[in-house]
Amino acid sequence: MRVTGNHLIELTTAATARQQGKLASAAEQVTSGLRVTSPSDDPSAWLTAQRAKLQRTVAAGASVAVQASRDRLDETDGALSTIGDAVSQVRALAIQANTGTLSASDRAALVDQVRGLQALALGAANRRDVNGEYLFAGANALNAPFDAAGAYAGDGAVRQVPDGLAGLAATTIPGSALTAAHGVDVLPLFGRIADALAANDTAALAAALPDLTTAVGQVAEARSRTGSTMAVLDGTLRAHGALADSLTTAIARAVEVDTVAAAGDLAKTSQALEVSRAVSAHVISLLSPST
Amino acid sequence: MSDLLSLLSLGSAGIAAQNAGVAVASNNVANVNTAGYSRQRVDLQALSLLPGGVRSGATQRLADDLLADRVRVAGGSLAMSRATASALGDLETRLARTGPTVDEQVANLFASFGALSAAPGDTGRRSDVLAAAGALADGIRRRAADVASAQQDSDLRIRDGAKQVTSLAKQLAAANQAVGRSGDPAMRDRRDQLAAQLSELVGGRARIGADGQMRFVLDDGAVLVDGDRAAQLAVSPGPGGLAKLEVVDGASRRDVTATLGGGSVGAQLRVRDVTLARTAAQLDQLAFDVATQVNAVHTANAGLDGVAGRPMFTPPAQLAGAAAALAIDPALAADPKLLAAAAAGAPSGDNRGALALFELGSRPVAAGGTSLGDAALAIIGDLARSGAEAKAAAARDELVAAHLGDLRDSLSGVDMQEELANLARFEHASQAMTKVVAVVDSLLGSLIDRL
Repeated sequence: MRVTGNHLIELTTAATARQQGKLASAAEQVTSGLRVTSPSDDPSAWLTAQRAKLQRTVAAGASVAVQASRDRLDETDGALSTIGDAVSQVRALAIQANTGTLSASDRAALVDQVRGLQALALGAANRRDVNGEYLFAGANALNAPFDAAGAYAGDGAVRQVPDGLAGLAATTIPGSALTAAHGVDVLPLFGRIADALAANDTAALAAALPDLTTAVGQVAEARSRTGSTMAVLDGTLRAHGALADSLTTAIARAVEVDTVAAAGDLAKTSQALEVSRAVSAHVISLLSPST
Repeated sequence: MSDLLSLLSLGSAGIAAQNAGVAVASNNVANVNTAGYSRQRVDLQALSLLPGGVRSGATQRLADDLLADRVRVAGGSLAMSRATASALGDLETRLARTGPTVDEQVANLFASFGALSAAPGDTGRRSDVLAAAGALADGIRRRAADVASAQQDSDLRIRDGAKQVTSLAKQLAAANQAVGRSGDPAMRDRRDQLAAQLSELVGGRARIGADGQMRFVLDDGAVLVDGDRAAQLAVSPGPGGLAKLEVVDGASRRDVTATLGGGSVGAQLRVRDVTLARTAAQLDQLAFDVATQVNAVHTANAGLDGVAGRPMFTPPAQLAGAAAALAIDPALAADPKLLAAAAAGAPSGDNRGALALFELGSRPVAAGGTSLGDAALAIIGDLARSGAEAKAAAARDELVAAHLGDLRDSLSGVDMQEELANLARFEHASQAMTKVVAVVDSLLGSLIDRL
């Protein structure tokens, strides 16, 4: 093959341009940390990474829901604890008032304490979460679930949220757990005791004691369910964390660059460019008419 | 005396022949950097009759028509793959490298439904959903506008290319005429150059017939140039106001819009009418599916006021243009409380509407039996595959074109060292012949002096 001087110059120039392109690409990979900077660089790898990103985004939405529900359960547990303490205190007062040592005026003096505990329990039962929703209202979460007498106006619906793992997780304890459907109507008991004390009605007090015992157990049972639900959500959140880590790793494997290898490539490409430039200069010098 | 005079003629003819060699070598050196120039060579012919001598034959142009044809074809392919890769690269940048992609925006919408399910009454979460839905609608509309803009860009390039094609065809016909008249090697180079430029614009093949005239034919057989006759590549309004290309030769008109398969104009046509049209249709389908599927779930559920039957997106009138028209329902956009997060008939704090919307994200409700997220992903995925194929084709075509260019350069390229050597050779021969003439002249002078 006949090789002309122009051909030699074009060869070396093209080689230098190719090395410059490779250097730019290697530098971009090192600085961006990405092997795939645009989808067409490697459509298959980009699609793999993008699918993982989408899954991570949707799972993050579910994770937000689970975390919010977990926080809400913390508040629920606190409210149930308040209610449980109030019921226990009223039960203790009822037992005390039911003994023969207290006079009618002593019993009347206890009424205010019971009314105070009733208000405390009612406040806890009508507590709202940070989003303004009532904790114990079931699906009727925008309306107060208990009236002043402690009667339940909510429903028995248990809210579920997506667990991000293709299922749903229960996240609420409805106020129906504190009603006769699960034992006795807990909050109206406060009124019954207060009325019995005010009326010095020891028979009514005695009749209410078993209900108070049931109510204590009922609140404890609701707290237990809350704890179980919290444990499930904690497990879901851990699974979310693991899933997010796994997806992040998959994304990195698909589109991110091995930094050490990329730095090595950058050094090699840089040297190749220097050599190419030197060869190009030499060829041009050789082909110069003055030479 | 007569022999000396013959020698004088021989000398002067020799000087003329060597000077012709100097002229051709000088011309080669002068054109060393002229694109498309084919080096020339002068053939010296020995004279057999006494007293012998030399004369310069015809100047030869060192070129191979078959190789030139292959170079042109390779140039057309390279121009097409480069133009395709460039156009798809631009589109990819617009759709996939500027802000979140549509598939990410679809995922964000469904993630917001999931987050809403934990607190369906929370206005903040409702606003987040509307923001995500608005971003998706804006994103799809913006991409649809980007695709339409890219189609317009391609259309402008097609129109501009058609003008160049018509002009080049006219010049090629004129070059054919000039070659027919004089056979000038420079005009042959010029003709090859024009044909190569035409190939880079529209592909096609140029063949030189037995009569020495070039015929340029497009891939579908439409004749653009035949001898000194040139057709026009005319632009007329096509569907959607986009350019339709026709080869017009007198009264004959031939639509080549769908068949022009080479060169940069062919690439722009393929990009405009195939790739971009497909992307636009995919965006329309996605917008249509998003609007109808999300609306179907949304209308079945109720807002905080307990009222069901409201759409989330403005219902699309038809599939065509759905992407450009996608928008959140104005009433919903103005009042997040209308977002249907509760089941119809359920209390306002119910979250089953939000759950149904979230669950929609994993259902195969898009055309083609995929999820909406996968349908959105497929838009850029298809574009990425086309872009990768175009890049690979451009790399392959560059190699082919470079190899054929090397072959052409090997035959037709000017080598300075070689031409400088030729110059020296012809110059020395010319100087020697000058001495011969001087000697003969001296001999003649002596003879004349003795007469």
